[in-house]
Amino acid sequence: MFRGFYTVGSGMIAQQRRTEMLSNNIANAETPGYKAEQSTIRAFPEMFMSRLDAMKVPTENGLNFKGLSKVGGLSTGVYMQETLPLFAQGQLRETEQKTDIALIDGPMDVNEETGVAGTVFFTLEGDNGNESYTRNGNFAVNAEGFLTNPSGLYVLDDAGNRIELASDDIRVTETGIVYDGENEIATLGIAYSDQPDTLSKMDNGLYTTIDGNDLPAGGTYSMQQGFLEGSNVDAARSMTDMLTAYRAFEANQKILQAYDRSMEKTVNEVGRVN
Amino acid sequence: MNRTMNIASNTMNQLQQRLDLIGNNLSNVGTHGYKSADATFQELLFQQINNDKADTADRSSDLGIRMGTGAQLGSLQMNWKVGSVQITDRNLDFALTEPKQHFNLIQQGDNGEEIIYSRKGNFYLSPTANGDNALVNEEGLAVADSAGRAIVFSGQASEYKVQPNGILQVVTPQGTQEFNLGVTVVEKPDSMVKLSATSFGLPQDMAALGLTADDLLTEMNGAARSEIGLQNKALETSNVEYEKEMADLISTQRAYQFNARSVTMADQMMGLINGIR
Repeated sequence: MFRGFYTVGSGMIAQQRRTEMLSNNIANAETPGYKAEQSTIRAFPEMFMSRLDAMKVPTENGLNFKGLSKVGGLSTGVYMQETLPLFAQGQLRETEQKTDIALIDGPMDVNEETGVAGTVFFTLEGDNGNESYTRNGNFAVNAEGFLTNPSGLYVLDDAGNRIELASDDIRVTETGIVYDGENEIATLGIAYSDQPDTLSKMDNGLYTTIDGNDLPAGGTYSMQQGFLEGSNVDAARSMTDMLTAYRAFEANQKILQAYDRSMEKTVNEVGRVN
Repeated sequence: MNRTMNIASNTMNQLQQRLDLIGNNLSNVGTHGYKSADATFQELLFQQINNDKADTADRSSDLGIRMGTGAQLGSLQMNWKVGSVQITDRNLDFALTEPKQHFNLIQQGDNGEEIIYSRKGNFYLSPTANGDNALVNEEGLAVADSAGRAIVFSGQASEYKVQPNGILQVVTPQGTQEFNLGVTVVEKPDSMVKLSATSFGLPQDMAALGLTADDLLTEMNGAARSEIGLQNKALETSNVEYEKEMADLISTQRAYQFNARSVTMADQMMGLINGIR
């Protein structure tokens, strides 16, 4: 059998996955706090190819040894290994809503091993009691008077408590202190991750840790009330990436057709009598 | 199957709704007392795909890949900034100059009379049975005083005066009559039910939600009445900002086009699969 037949098939699947990821980026080009996803495409574990052959030793009778000689490595396919969000700062957009807060990264330490800078997040109370993290600062005051995110999860302060407000007429300082009139209510809880790549992305712009442990406080940041951090999706780049993925998909399809024609020849022409 | 098409079409549907919302804001640019509303997007469900369980390569994220399924419109948020005040020189036009304060109107609901709230202050007189006049809004709903009663006075009014603390003085040949205009602060406009472009009511299922009227409203009575900002012979205009809405409209329309392009791309990819043989 032709070894490359399933290899190009896996190439098509990988490029399709990439297109799906890019179209999700485009779909979220208007979502506040959305971090564009990037993919890594990786070759399947290689297999070594060997050739059965005979070694001739120049003796009188011509001695033959059966043996294997190495041809080299052959990749058997390709798959999308990881999708990692790009944690670059999105542009700020003014909304004039007092409960909209943009989180702005300060200078962050860069992880020496991975070369990825740390990132800060707002802290939310997740469904299972663990903390969830988000960059989407589009908050609201619910009917009971708690500060929540758009899907109703409670925003937590720096001590891990819910934030209760009398109304949405609040003032938030650059350091995240929430004032209701002249009264200091709470300080918004900000979590810091020095390896944001290790976080799992959930729906509604939430991130959780793999091991379920809460992230520590820290990092340098500031906040801006009445603004939202826009999506960091670059529409032009997403479109060109999508075209590239599309053409790669097409190239794989063409090779699949070539294999098909080779097989057609094998079946219909090789060994034909007349 | 190709998920691209689903992702894009889900999102296009939501973008269409945002266009509707912007269209509604734009059509109410000239509506007195209208407050603009906006909604932002949020990410839809993420799906875990374990595409290679035997994968042992070094990686930083959790096993498998997580794929999103598009974006959806989040909850609606009202911008309760006070619109600019327009002087109309009409006796029965009133503008509230403090945010979130609303006039009280009496509406005949399913359970008898109920109070609804509006910032639109162009009022009229409606003759009642015994030759008196009632203060009503443009839809004929009676304007309530601070005790929830309709404001009714006898005689032909020659002058209307607004005194501090939200007091309306009606000068008639029989003498001057005073009314405390009912003013309520709607603390959480997003939790109220929108009845028309400018009026709100309390949610019907308040008890089921574990809420009382006090959670959502503050009646301006007693000492609090000094906080009422009321101006006569003026109306509050809509707080819709034309430029912002137009910019939003354009960017939403472009986002719609981008997603339509994703659909085309998905279609062509399926065409390629179909054309293998």
